[in-house]
Amino acid sequence: MVDQRTGTPRDRTALVVTETAHGAPELEAALAAESFSTRRADPAAVFGVDGAWAERGWGPPDLVLASAALGVNRVALIARRLTTAERGPTVVVFPEDDFEALQSCVRAGFDYVVPPFLPALLRCRLTSCWERGQLTMAVQEMAAEASLRQYERDLSVAHEIQAGFLPEELPVRRGWELATRFLPARQVAGDFYDAFELVNGRRVGFVVADVCDKGVGAALFMALIRTLLRHTAEHTAAWNLLDADEDTVLDTAARTSAVPSPVLSVGAGPLLQAVLGTNRYMARNHLRQGYFATMFFGVLDPASGSVVYINGGHNPPVLLRADGSHQLLAPTGPAVGMMPNSVYSLGHTTLEPGDRLFVYTDGVVEARDSRGSMFGLPRVLDALGTPATASAEDLLVSVESGMHHHVGGAEQFDDITMLALVRTPPEATAVA
Amino acid sequence: MAFDVTTHAEDGVLTVRLTGELDSRAAHRFNEVIGAVPGGTVNRLVLHLAELVYLSSAGLRCLVFAQQKLGRGTEIVLVGTRPEVAETITMTGFDRSVTMQDPVDS
Repeated sequence: MVDQRTGTPRDRTALVVTETAHGAPELEAALAAESFSTRRADPAAVFGVDGAWAERGWGPPDLVLASAALGVNRVALIARRLTTAERGPTVVVFPEDDFEALQSCVRAGFDYVVPPFLPALLRCRLTSCWERGQLTMAVQEMAAEASLRQYERDLSVAHEIQAGFLPEELPVRRGWELATRFLPARQVAGDFYDAFELVNGRRVGFVVADVCDKGVGAALFMALIRTLLRHTAEHTAAWNLLDADEDTVLDTAARTSAVPSPVLSVGAGPLLQAVLGTNRYMARNHLRQGYFATMFFGVLDPASGSVVYINGGHNPPVLLRADGSHQLLAPTGPAVGMMPNSVYSLGHTTLEPGDRLFVYTDGVVEARDSRGSMFGLPRVLDALGTPATASAEDLLVSVESGMHHHVGGAEQFDDITMLALVRTPPEATAVA
Repeated sequence: MAFDVTTHAEDGVLTVRLTGELDSRAAHRFNEVIGAVPGGTVNRLVLHLAELVYLSSAGLRCLVFAQQKLGRGTEIVLVGTRPEVAETITMTGFDRSVTMQDPVDS
């Protein structure tokens, strides 16, 4: 036998496993003649107590010669016990007296040697057994690698397709900045963001959403939910409010500013229809699969700074006022797709010059350091406490660096998505 | 903190005690427990959550899945939910589908 890596002969070890007290003298003599360093063990020593084998300082042997008299089950157990993650020994059965037992081991796929055990004959047989073992292993490795490559190809295709479900560019409005981050934990994510024009460009819709769970399942639902939301919002007339379900109650309790009812705001119709329609569709068609999405969907009037929104069970976005105070935009309804007949209220607020809105997914606040401690909302608020002149991009960079600082070298576990909307202060607008 | 789930079924009441963190890594273990329940045999699911310290969105999905699997007729009771876990349940509106109890009421 030859070392696979170096191609040079090395010290070969053989293990003879038998219950017979005197062992298999002819076989052991032939192995010795072929300069195998040979050990003998009874089966209990091999699959007795875990680790007993290693405690004796015995590495895994190159070759195992198991007596067929042990029976096929015990031979299989021995083979499994002596197989490490890196390699397994070549296992060959030999008959003591019972050729029937040998036959059942051979039927189970084990290689065999039969007496007389003459050194040259034995060497020839063992070499061919070893080569066959190597070939089988190589074929198995190739098959595993091929299926892994196929899997990786599929995932990278899914990754590219998912990227196509995010907006290619963000709408731009004078006096406003919009910036986003999308950091999936894996190749594909359940998070998404979106931003698009509504009502002939008079409004800008923006969404941050988190489909529960992650990976491929969440990614499929991300594609569905993003499409339903955007398609419905884009194809609902501005004032179309009243064909909502009868059991849908609209109230304005979530209002955070004393302006005319948000229900009367242009853009409220598309917003409500998109969220209600998506919830209805999910509840009707996908309830059993148990997927739902938390989301914040805002509709901005760039002229006035007015924002009507629905927060469907999502982490409350942070509204930072130019004077340094902040407020949280709490949920106005449950997660979308979680229950049929969910009721959603419209929230309303106004961004004045210098005000900034930060919308994020739970991957931000739940980012953990190596000890498991979460980044948390207070640290997010700290990171957002940058000077009021900071751009939307600056805000995201600040949160990102705060998060990286907190997490240290720990692996990112959850998808992370962030969106910052900033109404630029008057002086900045004048400069621009 | 490692996740653990123990169950006890009696007279149509399935009692489940969750310990540790219920997230995407632990989700399958809870789902297996719920998946093993024969249809129509449980009319009340009591979840003891006093030792559940974290519930991610994937974990919450387990509870939603349990509700779907057991059917609308099954009452779900959450007992002794910690504030940080209750926050996730309330924020997403799932509290509207379940009954939340203090430990003393159970």
